[in-house]
Amino acid sequence: MDAEAQENFRDFVESRSSALLKTAVLLSGGDRHAGEDLLQNALIKAAGRWHRIEEPEAYVRQILYRQQVSRWRLKWPRRELSVPEPLENPARHGTDDGPGAADLRIVMRAALARLTARQRTVLVLRYFEDLPEADVARILGCSVGTVRSTTHRSLARLRELAPELAALGPADAEHQPSRDYSTVEVRP
Amino acid sequence: MNVDELVRDSLREQAAEQPALGPGFADRVLTVRRRRRTRALASAATATAAVVAIAVAVPLLNIGNDDARLASRTNRNGILAHPDQTPPRDMIAAGDLALGAYYTWETDAHGAAVRAYRILDPKTGTYVKTSKWSVVDIAPGLRTAAVLERNLPAKRIGLLDLRTGEVERWIPVDRGVASVEFSPDGSKLLATTYGKNPQLRVKSRSDTDGDGEGDWESPPGKPSSRTGFYILDVASGKGSWSEVTDVGRGGGPEDCVFNHDGRLVYCGTTSSPFRQYYDFAGDEVAAPANEVQAERYRGVGLSPDGKLFGGLSGGTMSKSYTKTHTELLDAYTGKKVTTVPGRQLLAWVDNKRLIALDLTPGPGSDGSVSRLVLVTIGSDKVVPLSGITKGFDGAAGYWTPVFAER
Repeated sequence: MDAEAQENFRDFVESRSSALLKTAVLLSGGDRHAGEDLLQNALIKAAGRWHRIEEPEAYVRQILYRQQVSRWRLKWPRRELSVPEPLENPARHGTDDGPGAADLRIVMRAALARLTARQRTVLVLRYFEDLPEADVARILGCSVGTVRSTTHRSLARLRELAPELAALGPADAEHQPSRDYSTVEVRP
Repeated sequence: MNVDELVRDSLREQAAEQPALGPGFADRVLTVRRRRRTRALASAATATAAVVAIAVAVPLLNIGNDDARLASRTNRNGILAHPDQTPPRDMIAAGDLALGAYYTWETDAHGAAVRAYRILDPKTGTYVKTSKWSVVDIAPGLRTAAVLERNLPAKRIGLLDLRTGEVERWIPVDRGVASVEFSPDGSKLLATTYGKNPQLRVKSRSDTDGDGEGDWESPPGKPSSRTGFYILDVASGKGSWSEVTDVGRGGGPEDCVFNHDGRLVYCGTTSSPFRQYYDFAGDEVAAPANEVQAERYRGVGLSPDGKLFGGLSGGTMSKSYTKTHTELLDAYTGKKVTTVPGRQLLAWVDNKRLIALDLTPGPGSDGSVSRLVLVTIGSDKVVPLSGITKGFDGAAGYWTPVFAER
């Protein structure tokens, strides 16, 4: 990397790292340190190919998604997460009929942190990045059917992990179970 | 609420809570990369004695052909520019800052001046016209907008899903509001309450854009009908209203706004220093130390690090030559630190770069026409972001930008 490329790289990191970090932390199940590690490794890879990259942000994002799934495959030890606990006061946070919206979001966070990396990655791509199934499939290098089935199973797993979600209506993805229940194949 | 909606809300909430990375992250990355390369070279030298060499296939990611994040595509410096478009059709952005929407003034069936907004569709990366709203503010992340309906003051605030163009929730308010703004973290709404519509405009005798008709402007000399402000929690829609007795300098809207860090509110006042700060309970409080100097100006606010703010503009303008600049002042002392190109600074991209309105030589009545540009502290370089407008009202193509963090 020459001096100009380094300056260029610094400009890119300064302007986009905060947005990229948000995705990295979500992919890491809310673990800020793991998210920073993930982003750092993705940026190191991008720096190595800086002269040849046309779209740096798209490139870094793709590394984030694939690296996260690969990392899960390597079974890296996982740090303990501190997830906020739902509060007890029903007057503020819910009713006798069930938990309030703020409580449900906290419950959901805890459940998301307990999904496998591949399940969480698919949900982040579908529901945070708002990507259509075809784009998720292309990014992860698998079929649309696999994305659909993983989404379906991930939502079902969330319900298992958090019984408080029972009162919620089914997602669209749960109305359309896929016949393709093959294992997610992710290119290394 | 469905499970997928809760997943979406939870992920967005978690993302919004992440504090920004500190400065020097790029250097940290480059340092680690250098160390790893050094170690890799040392290992390679040792491995020359090995009998078997194992070739490791490095995956080549098929990035160039992927179009999955159309709305967020950026060039190498994080800039999305369309210098050939005015008003812009395609997304404009620099760094984390995007043009989330913009509006022009149009005349409705009753002859009144109304705003016509173009709001960013994050799926296609294009701006879509809508005549439904009189006020639009975009939340950080470019997913949601707060909107007010046509008849102001409005008795409810809509939360518009930018991907579908539909209002996903209405927040009712007892007192009519005529402005709405997201807090910097997107978790709260600030809505200013008025007794009458502050957007009403009248035709004046002056014709600054030379289109043969009087300019639309706020009724001169009339005090504002501002009464106070709401602070509302976006998630629950709950909040409180606080009275503001000073009606501001009058004439046009006197909206209350969040301060730099979003922990206080300030409202314009009729007398010096022309700002009064409030906490969220509506109690008057002193201005934060780094906002005292900025009270004297109505320019761009503090830089993200809170050290600089925009001051007065100057320059030379004629039909054949135009060069403008705006001062940047120290937030604590008010002393001039430097100047950057641009007639009017509009928003900070980061601590080094701003989006400004620049004047260029042209056929406008003062010899100039305007465009959005990106300017950098310490550089004379001006990067055009939009095309050049022909004049200064809606008929001539002038539009008012609404920025949001992406």
